[in-house]
Amino acid sequence: MIKNYFKIAFRNLWKNKGFSAINILGLAIGITTCLIIMLFVYNELSYDRFNVKSSRIVRVTFQGLSAGEKFNEASIMPPVAQTMKADFPEVEAATRIRDYGRPKLAYGVKSFKEDAFAYVDANFFEVFTLPLVEGDAKTALAEPNTIVITKALSQKYFGNEDPMGKVINFKEGDKAGYKVTGVIKKVPDNSHFHFDLFASMISLPESREPTWMSSNFYTYVVLRDGDDYKKLEAKLPGLVEKYIGPQMVQAMHVTLSEFRKKGNNLSFHLQRLTDIHLSTEFTNDLSRSGDVRYVYIFGAIALFMLLIACINFMNLSTAGASRRAREVGIRKVIGSLRIDLIRQFLIESVVITAFAFLLAIGLVYLALPVFNTLAGQNLTLQFADHPLLLPGLLLFVLLTGIVAGSYPAFYLSSFKPVAILKGKFVSGRKSVGLRSGLVVFQFFVSITLIVITTVVYKQLSYIQHKKLGYNKEQVMILPVWMLGKNSELFSNELVNDPRVVSSTNSGYLPAGQSDNNNFFVYPGENPDQMVKTLRYEVDEKYISTLGIQLLTGRNFSKEFASDSSAVVLNEAAAKVFGWGETAPGHSISTTNHEGKKITYHVIGIVKDFHFRSLHDLISPLVMVLAPNPGMMIVKLKTTDITSLLGDLKKRWDGLGSEEPFTYSFLDDRFKNTYQSEQKIGFILGIFAGLTIFIACLGLFGLAKFTTEQRIKEIGIRKILGASVVGIANLLSADFLKLVLLGFIASTPVAWFAMNKWLQDFAYRIDVSWWIFAFAAFTALAIALITVSFQAVKAAFANPVKSLRTE
Amino acid sequence: MIQLKGIFKWVNSGGNRVFLLKDINLTIKEGEFISIMGPSGSGKSTLLNVVGMLDDFNEGEYNFIGQPVHQLKEKHRAQLYKSHIGFVFQAYHLIDELTVYENIETPLLYQNVKSSERQAIVADILDRFNIVGKKDLFPAQLSGGQQQLVGVARALVAKPKLILADEPTGNLNTKQGTEIMELFKQLNEEDGVTIIQATHSEKNAAYGSKIINLLDGRVEK
Repeated sequence: MIKNYFKIAFRNLWKNKGFSAINILGLAIGITTCLIIMLFVYNELSYDRFNVKSSRIVRVTFQGLSAGEKFNEASIMPPVAQTMKADFPEVEAATRIRDYGRPKLAYGVKSFKEDAFAYVDANFFEVFTLPLVEGDAKTALAEPNTIVITKALSQKYFGNEDPMGKVINFKEGDKAGYKVTGVIKKVPDNSHFHFDLFASMISLPESREPTWMSSNFYTYVVLRDGDDYKKLEAKLPGLVEKYIGPQMVQAMHVTLSEFRKKGNNLSFHLQRLTDIHLSTEFTNDLSRSGDVRYVYIFGAIALFMLLIACINFMNLSTAGASRRAREVGIRKVIGSLRIDLIRQFLIESVVITAFAFLLAIGLVYLALPVFNTLAGQNLTLQFADHPLLLPGLLLFVLLTGIVAGSYPAFYLSSFKPVAILKGKFVSGRKSVGLRSGLVVFQFFVSITLIVITTVVYKQLSYIQHKKLGYNKEQVMILPVWMLGKNSELFSNELVNDPRVVSSTNSGYLPAGQSDNNNFFVYPGENPDQMVKTLRYEVDEKYISTLGIQLLTGRNFSKEFASDSSAVVLNEAAAKVFGWGETAPGHSISTTNHEGKKITYHVIGIVKDFHFRSLHDLISPLVMVLAPNPGMMIVKLKTTDITSLLGDLKKRWDGLGSEEPFTYSFLDDRFKNTYQSEQKIGFILGIFAGLTIFIACLGLFGLAKFTTEQRIKEIGIRKILGASVVGIANLLSADFLKLVLLGFIASTPVAWFAMNKWLQDFAYRIDVSWWIFAFAAFTALAIALITVSFQAVKAAFANPVKSLRTE
Repeated sequence: MIQLKGIFKWVNSGGNRVFLLKDINLTIKEGEFISIMGPSGSGKSTLLNVVGMLDDFNEGEYNFIGQPVHQLKEKHRAQLYKSHIGFVFQAYHLIDELTVYENIETPLLYQNVKSSERQAIVADILDRFNIVGKKDLFPAQLSGGQQQLVGVARALVAKPKLILADEPTGNLNTKQGTEIMELFKQLNEEDGVTIIQATHSEKNAAYGSKIINLLDGRVEK
């Protein structure tokens, strides 16, 4: 019996090749996207769960509001860990990480610049599950000047020799060496920190300082089994009172309550270890973190894609029911029970799903590298790593097959044999209604995605073409600070190069990584009108090199010795002080860190330029004349960038620098600012395209079957004198109505979602009507092409043929 | 074998009750060959469907080999006709996706006959109908007469007591029609199979041992 079912299933698939291809392809694309996204979501959610104690580990964070500025820090003060262990009984253990940046290390003649070096407490390997393949986790880091390294690092320094007991030295400074006392395999990819070297905290004097005023230590706490971290968090305000209060009086001469009265605030918080990766609120987190919004967006898309593919499947199967109706009738007459037929159709749909699934696995292997590049991920489909994956997927196939096949199975098996065999079979009104509903839903999703993608692209293009108030083309950025004392030599040489229009030195850049510095200034003699503004340190050529427009007044100049106490404001600053264009001639004052008053006189105003991303409004900015050799900003006039770069590299290396020559271009830096939006835009575009494609596959199949069903009606209409165009219109109109309904449903959803997304940008486009018109037109056009192909074919058919019955 | 007592069947159309069968009283004994005649719309097919339990009736009693059909549940009814009745149709109604062999085999599958037994039975019947050479062909590759031959073979394969044939020669030419009718006659006389056929043709009706005339859902005479 089962054999017979499979035979029938394969023969039916083969007989209706086109129909089967549409079905399998649609389902395969749906499953592929769903699988990839599931891998992505699974990976995002798996962060730090490899730690055996992950459910009990929390990180202590520090938040506050000081002088009008919010801060939110993942690293905190050195004594917090010990204090919490001592003060709170529910704290079973506390451990710290001190990220130590990128030191240069050496072993014998081998020397490398490391970029993942940390000091950690002695109990670190008991808190985090990073098994030592050599050494003892309990004692490895108990002594000063000991270090635990990864296997890869051991290979790099010691080759195949036994690393235990060997000493790694700092290349610079007079630090003593570190003896290797342990080796771990590696830090898993899905860990929120990634270090290659873990030195013992006890070697670092800073770790024992009792200060509550500086924060450099990522602090983790293991709770006693069964304790709620929320309860512990409620006790943390006590720490602020007991320890920070007294030190504040000493250092800043204010009490905590005075500090709070000014609207300031300080507080400790706890964050679950497993939440760290998906949180985006900290500016100084240990690694590039994920974004929980992506998880939601992609999860929703995965679900929709699979749903749409299943809907397609159901739609096509029920629409094809008339073909199978006769078979159902005959089978019932010759003795089949309803349950036999249900079983037969379910097996058929599982067979189709299985085909689709095999195809999908292949597609996943092809598409994963592309997705990895786009989404900046490193996902793999490894059956060996996850023993539950294969059975899970097989269950998934079975389930998808049954879900997708259940409606056709129950619907088809309910036919009355007499009615069918008499040729009276007509597809019921109810199923037509349901199918139409499903098509409307598909187009609702497709059109929503088209609108969303269009808005994202429009906004990105708006950003790309917006006049920024400075010139970002052909501007090269060179990190000359790396050259140390030779930087001036390098700069001076470059200034005289004929390919250079002009150049300036400043660490303050309007795009990408930049120095950042704020100060509090007030106009004239009015300290009560204190304003916080950005403070840019520039030289005389900064404004001209970047092509920033001078509104009134003048730029800094070497001819005025008094310019050392001059400032140039941007429009926003001039407005905040209440002067507008009359600002030149006024003065502003500030208090320096020694408490001394410093007064600057305003000499000019520049037009507002976007020195931050378009997410933020342009804030007040004050430029002062101060040497800042951080970066060299060079405006070029050459088409032969390659040879210029070659020359620069030669000069750079000629200065005997150990730092490699690096450079960047201002327009690239600008683009990179919107990388995450660009990525999501691109991915959304792909998904929108795929959704439309699947929806159209469904529509095509549906049109094909409806046309077949109405073949007699078409024949009669033709005999009665209907034209080809008239018939094609008649057949297409029904489907276009469905697309229109989908459009109407999608409008409010897409409008709401996109307005919400655009709120993130201070400078943004309007969601204008034409975007919706465009989406509707695109969907209609694609649907029309899909449907009319069938309609025209039917309209041209010879009516005599279609009216001849058995 | 079959007893119909006061069978009525009607449909409601626009407030009027239209009778398809009116007060049918019939007794058919095992081994009979009945021909039902009458013009189009007289109720021939409806009567066959009622007898074959494919269709319900609204009033009356129907006993089939001692079982009160009007009191049976759907499942039992299916069980009953599955093992005792074979159907032959005017339009053959073979399953297009199955070969001749598989078409004939299908009723046995639904009766859970064992594989080896099935092979023997099907081989036997193929042999008897002289269609062994065609067993791997699909219905579309056969002529109308050959398809109907397969249809009859399929109706017979489960060894039913009763064959219901609705215009079995309606789509065939004279020569093919005669062959099928001869086959029915032979089955009736040699194997003792009870046959009820509905037909338009006087000539075909004459093969039967008894003719029942229907007009507007009523038995004439």
